[in-house]
Amino acid sequence: MVTLFPLSRIFYASFWRIILSVMLAAGLIASLNAAEVDGQLDRAAVSAGEGALLTLRISGARAGQPVIPEVPNLIINPQGQSQQTQWINGQTTVSVTYQYVVGSNTPGDYQIPAIDVLVDGKKYQTQPLQLKVLDPAAAQPPAGMAPTRPGSQPAVVEEADTSAQRFGFLTVELADSDRKYVYVGEIAPVRIRAWIPADARAQLRSGVKPEGKAFTLHHVSDSPQQTQEMKDGKTYLVVTWFGGMSATKAGKYPASLSVDASVAVRDPSAPQRRRRRMGGPFDDAFFDRVFDDMNAPMIQKDVTLKSDDQDIEVRPLPAAGRPNGFSGAVGNFKFDAWEIPAAWTTGEPQQITARLSGSGNFALMNAPELTPADAWKVYPTKGEFTPGDTASFSGNKGFQFSAVPRLGGAQDVALTFSYFDPSAGVYKTLISPKKTIQVSGKNVVDTPPPLAPATKAPDHKDSPQLVAQHLAMSPRASLVPLASRPIFGVLLAVAAGLCVLGKLLAWLRHRWGDPQRRARAAMERATRAALLTARQCADARDVAGFFAAGRLSLQERLGALWNQPAQAITLAEIHARMASDSPVARFFVEADRQTYSQASNRDIPKEWRALLDEAMSSLTPDSH
Amino acid sequence: MFPNLLLGLICLLLGASPVLADAQSAFDQANRQYAAADYAGAASAYERALSAGGARASVFYNLGNSYQRLGQYGHAILSYERARLLTPRDPDLLANLALARKAAAAFEEPGPNPRLDAALNTLSRAEWSALVVGSALFLGVLCVGCGIAGLPRGAFRQWTMVAAAMATFLLTGGATALYQRRDEAKRAVILTDSASIRLSPFENAEVVLTPGLGRTVLMGNRHGDFYYVTVPGVAQSGWLAAKDVAAIESDIAQATNDEPHSNITSVVR
Repeated sequence: MVTLFPLSRIFYASFWRIILSVMLAAGLIASLNAAEVDGQLDRAAVSAGEGALLTLRISGARAGQPVIPEVPNLIINPQGQSQQTQWINGQTTVSVTYQYVVGSNTPGDYQIPAIDVLVDGKKYQTQPLQLKVLDPAAAQPPAGMAPTRPGSQPAVVEEADTSAQRFGFLTVELADSDRKYVYVGEIAPVRIRAWIPADARAQLRSGVKPEGKAFTLHHVSDSPQQTQEMKDGKTYLVVTWFGGMSATKAGKYPASLSVDASVAVRDPSAPQRRRRRMGGPFDDAFFDRVFDDMNAPMIQKDVTLKSDDQDIEVRPLPAAGRPNGFSGAVGNFKFDAWEIPAAWTTGEPQQITARLSGSGNFALMNAPELTPADAWKVYPTKGEFTPGDTASFSGNKGFQFSAVPRLGGAQDVALTFSYFDPSAGVYKTLISPKKTIQVSGKNVVDTPPPLAPATKAPDHKDSPQLVAQHLAMSPRASLVPLASRPIFGVLLAVAAGLCVLGKLLAWLRHRWGDPQRRARAAMERATRAALLTARQCADARDVAGFFAAGRLSLQERLGALWNQPAQAITLAEIHARMASDSPVARFFVEADRQTYSQASNRDIPKEWRALLDEAMSSLTPDSH
Repeated sequence: MFPNLLLGLICLLLGASPVLADAQSAFDQANRQYAAADYAGAASAYERALSAGGARASVFYNLGNSYQRLGQYGHAILSYERARLLTPRDPDLLANLALARKAAAAFEEPGPNPRLDAALNTLSRAEWSALVVGSALFLGVLCVGCGIAGLPRGAFRQWTMVAAAMATFLLTGGATALYQRRDEAKRAVILTDSASIRLSPFENAEVVLTPGLGRTVLMGNRHGDFYYVTVPGVAQSGWLAAKDVAAIESDIAQATNDEPHSNITSVVR
C-alpha cells in the first residue's frame, strides 16, 4: 500500500539532510562563473504504483535548494543527493545532484513543470518533464526490470540488491579509456575498483587476480585507495587499485578480474518494528527507514567479486617497420642522459651509462645500442629500474654497460633505442645527442675461427651474436650451494660450538687465575699441613709441637676468614672478636699455658685433640 | 686403520685420473664440433663432459651456447643459469644469457627494490654460503683462542677486535642475503613452449597459465609426474608436468639425468 505524503511533509522529512547539504555545498562551491541546471527522468513511462528516477544536476555555481513544484496526484519523493568537487588548473568546479523518485497511483500523462533553482541570486529553470503513468493491468515492465513503488529505490537498484551485486562488485577500466585494445607485450594500465555497499562490513580475503588465462596482472598497488562514491543512487565504499594487464598472445580475450571478500550486509527482508508516532524531529518516515536499516540483522557471506567479462583485443606488434634494434619495449620513452668517457684505447673496455625515462613495459627494455655498431663490441647488461609511481608504469631505467672500441681515431658516437608506441601504433627510434670521443691505438681486427672440416651442415636457427666459447675447462664445483646442503647447518653448529667452547675455556681460565681462590687454596693446604703436623706431634708425644701446629692451623683458617695474615692473629684479637668460651679461644689459652709452662713430652690427652677438632670445625665455612 | 685410508686415497686418485681425462677429452671434442658448427654433436659431447667430470662453469656455458645455436632457448637458459651459479659475474655468460632470454621472450620481472637486489646478487649463493661459514668458523676459532690465551694485549688486541667485528658483519650480511634469496633454491626453467600450468596434477586438468619457454618458476612439492610451481611476478601457481621443467640448483648426477640432457639427441633432432 502506497502512502501519499504532501510536499510539506516530504520537505520536513528531509529537513536536516537539506540543511546539511546546503551548508556543505555553500562551503565548497567557490569562484565559479557559469551555472548549469539540468533535470532528467530515467524513463518516460512507469506503471501506476511504480517510480521513475528524477535526477536534478546543478553545476558550476553556488546554488540554493531546488523548489519542486506540486503536481496533483504525482508523488515526488527525495531520495538523496551527492556532490562532486573538481580542481582543474586551480579552478574549482562543484556539482550537486539531487535525486527524487516520481510516480503516481493514478494512470495518466503528467507534466513536471520547470523546477526553479536559485543560483548566485539568479533563478534558473529546468525543462518541463513528461511522465506517463500506465495502468498496471495494461503495462508490461521493461525486460529485466522489476516494478518499483514510489517512495522506494528505483527498480534497477532493487534488482541489484537482490542479486549477487548486493554484496558488491568489481569494475576494471583501462586507464586510456579511448582504446579498446592492447598490444602484445604492452602493460596496459588499469584501474580496478571494488564497490562495497557503504552500510556493509567487508574484509578482502585475497588480492586481485585475473579470471581468464589470456591476461596477466602486474604491479598491482599494495595499498589501495579507499573512497566513498555514489552509484545509481546508492553509496558505496570504493577500494581502488592500480595495476597493469598484459597479454602474450594476439587475439580477442575476455578480461575479467576477481577478488575474494567476506561481506556482511544488512538483511532488508527482516521484519521491521512498527513505531509509535511520538512527535519530535525524528518522528518521520525517513528516519524510520534510517533506524530500520541500522537495526536490521547482518548477513555475512564469503563472495568473489568479479568484474564483467569485457573483451579486449590483443593486437600483435606490427612486423612492418620493426627496427633492427627493437628489443620488445612497448611504451613511451625518452633519453634522460648518457655519459661516455672522452678518451678510449682500442681493445680496452670502459663503462658507458645511460638513463631512459617514460612509461611502459620496462621489463622488456634492453640497453640502448651504441652507434656506429661496427666500431664497438658491447657487453649487454641488465638495467636498474626506478619506479616513478606506485604501479611502476612510469619511471626511469639506468644502464651501465661495458664497451670495447675496435677502431682508433676520433669518432662521433651516439646511443639509439627503439620501442613501440602503443598510442600511435608505430615503432619509434630515439637517438641520443652525439658525443665526440678520441680512441687511441690500432684497429682491432677479428681473427676468423680456425676452419675445420664440416661434418654436417649446421642446423641452427638464426641466433644472435653470441660471445665466444670458453676453451679452458674450469674447476669442478657443485651446483648446490653450501647453504642448501646439510653440512651447512653442521658447520654453523660447529662454529657455534667453538664459540661456546671458547666461552667455557675463558671461564675456566678466569676461575684458575682468581687470586682469592688461589689464596683460599693455599690456606687450605697450609691448614691441612699444620693439622697433619699436629697429629704427628701428638703421636710423638710432643706437647709443644702439637700446640704450635694446632695454633698455626687455626691461625691459617682465621686469617682466611678475617682477611689478614695468619701470623698476626693473637689471643688478644681472638678475645676481642670471639667469645672467650669458644673452642678456638680455649685452645689458644691452653696452647699459651703449655708453651709458657714448657711442658715436657708426654701423652696428649684426648680432650686436647677433641678441642682442636672442635675449634677447627667451628671455623669451617659450612659450620661457621 | 691408517694403511686402509691410504690405500683408499690411492685408489681414489688412480680412479679419478681416467675420469678427468675422459671429461677433458669430451670437452675438447665438443669445442671442435662447435667450431665446426656441429652444435648438436657439441651439445652431446658437453653432456658427456659433465657426466664424466662433474659440474663446471665453462662446460655449462659452452653447452648453453650450443643450445642457443640450435634454437633450444629453454635448455640454453637452463645451462646458462647453472653456469651462473658457479661464475655469477662472468660478463660473457651474462651477455649470452640476456640474448637467450631475449630470443625466448622470457624476461624476468624486476624486483620491487632493484638496488637491494643488485647488492644481494653481488655474490652467488654459494659464495654467500662460504662467506657465512668462513666467518662463523673464524669467530669460533677466535673464541677458542681467546678462551685459551685470553685477549691479546696492545695493538694485537685492536686487530683482534676489528677482525671479530668484520667477521660478525660478514656473517650477518651473508645470512641476510641467504635469507632474502632463500627461494632461489627452488628456481627452475620452463623447457618447452607448450608447458602449461594446470589447476590439478593431471594431464586433463584445466590450464591456468602458459608461462612460456625459458620462464623461471619456483618449484614446490612433487605429485606423481607434476610439480607444484609458482610463477614469480604473476602470482600464479599450479601444477606443471615434470618433463617441462628442470631445477637450476641440482646435483650434477641428477642434472645430467634431467630431461634436457638425457633427451639431448631427440631434442637436437
